[in-house]
Amino acid sequence: MTVTLRPLSLRRDGERLVIAWSDGFTGAISLRKLRDSCPCASCNEKRQQPPNPLHLLSDAELKADAPTPVAMPARGLYAYQIVWNDGHDTGIYTIEYLRQLSERA
Amino acid sequence: MHPQMPPKVALPGVKQLIAVASGKGGVGKSTVAVNLALALQLQGQRVGLMDADIYGPSLPMMLGLGVMDPQRTAFPVEKFGLRVMSMGFLPDAGRGVLMRGPMVAKYVTGFLTQIDWGNLDVLVIDMPPGTGDAQLSLAQTVVVSGAVIVTTPQDVSLIDARKALNMFGELRVPVLGTIENMSYFVGDDGKRYEIFRHGGGRKLAADCGVPFLGELPIDPRVAECGDAGVPIVQRFPDSPISKAYLVLASTVTQQLHEKKAAEALPEVQL
Repeated sequence: MTVTLRPLSLRRDGERLVIAWSDGFTGAISLRKLRDSCPCASCNEKRQQPPNPLHLLSDAELKADAPTPVAMPARGLYAYQIVWNDGHDTGIYTIEYLRQLSERA
Repeated sequence: MHPQMPPKVALPGVKQLIAVASGKGGVGKSTVAVNLALALQLQGQRVGLMDADIYGPSLPMMLGLGVMDPQRTAFPVEKFGLRVMSMGFLPDAGRGVLMRGPMVAKYVTGFLTQIDWGNLDVLVIDMPPGTGDAQLSLAQTVVVSGAVIVTTPQDVSLIDARKALNMFGELRVPVLGTIENMSYFVGDDGKRYEIFRHGGGRKLAADCGVPFLGELPIDPRVAECGDAGVPIVQRFPDSPISKAYLVLASTVTQQLHEKKAAEALPEVQL
């Protein structure tokens, strides 16, 4: 099998998550973008719907500060789960997806 | 603990974890898993055997075990020196288990995290067929050192085996190689008969760029032993097929060392 790309380190740097990769690339993802790109089924569905200008914010949305991960455990060998400060925790971000979201730091 | 949060440390005392899988049902995963586990043990390793087939657990019968009272039994159960856990030990399982995917995920995760497996060199996991909840739960809960893909020689079996290989690729679980089960039969006349054709396992390995781990012959005693609750490696350790299992166990161990067991992902600094 081919040698797979893997992250060497992941750290939060202010409003970004900075990831150093095994191919020498260092990328960053803003926490807002990371939260908005949550790959879980319900977030995917929400993104597919047309924006609703009359959307009423839920209590959680009203109270939420800027999105911040409170925990980010590895899931096996292929992904990280992110637990957000708004309580959302169903997003499992694969390594490939994190790389795709990364921009040059 | 939050239901979605993975446990901090799963299987702290287990050095290596091998998943025995195939896309297709009926290729002999459980037979391979139980006999491979016994062969690894004969080679001096401390071995556990976990049945991740929640809907159709076969290991209890193959090991001569049955339903147990979960209030009075300390799981895993010991048999032939193996530490074993299966859904088939739980009283309701015999009647058939009707449950949706999330419950399967819960049981698989529970077997891995709530059961005290103690110190083991290897935990062999007998996977159910398919590429679904049980497989995902396993790959999300623990670091699988390697997977072995069981197939039978014919093309139909290869279609699904290939899917299993792709799945492990996506989950970044190293594939140790493929095994061709029911590969051939040696008759009383000493001739070799290739009942289900031949070479599928080797072809699959070559196509997917993984090692070919070997061929296991057909021996009617395998089925007899399985039904009688004493696997063939335990009952007839000197039979040709048991020897094939011992070779397989050595190859798997060697592959695990060569592959330098999968490296865990780095911790995130938040």
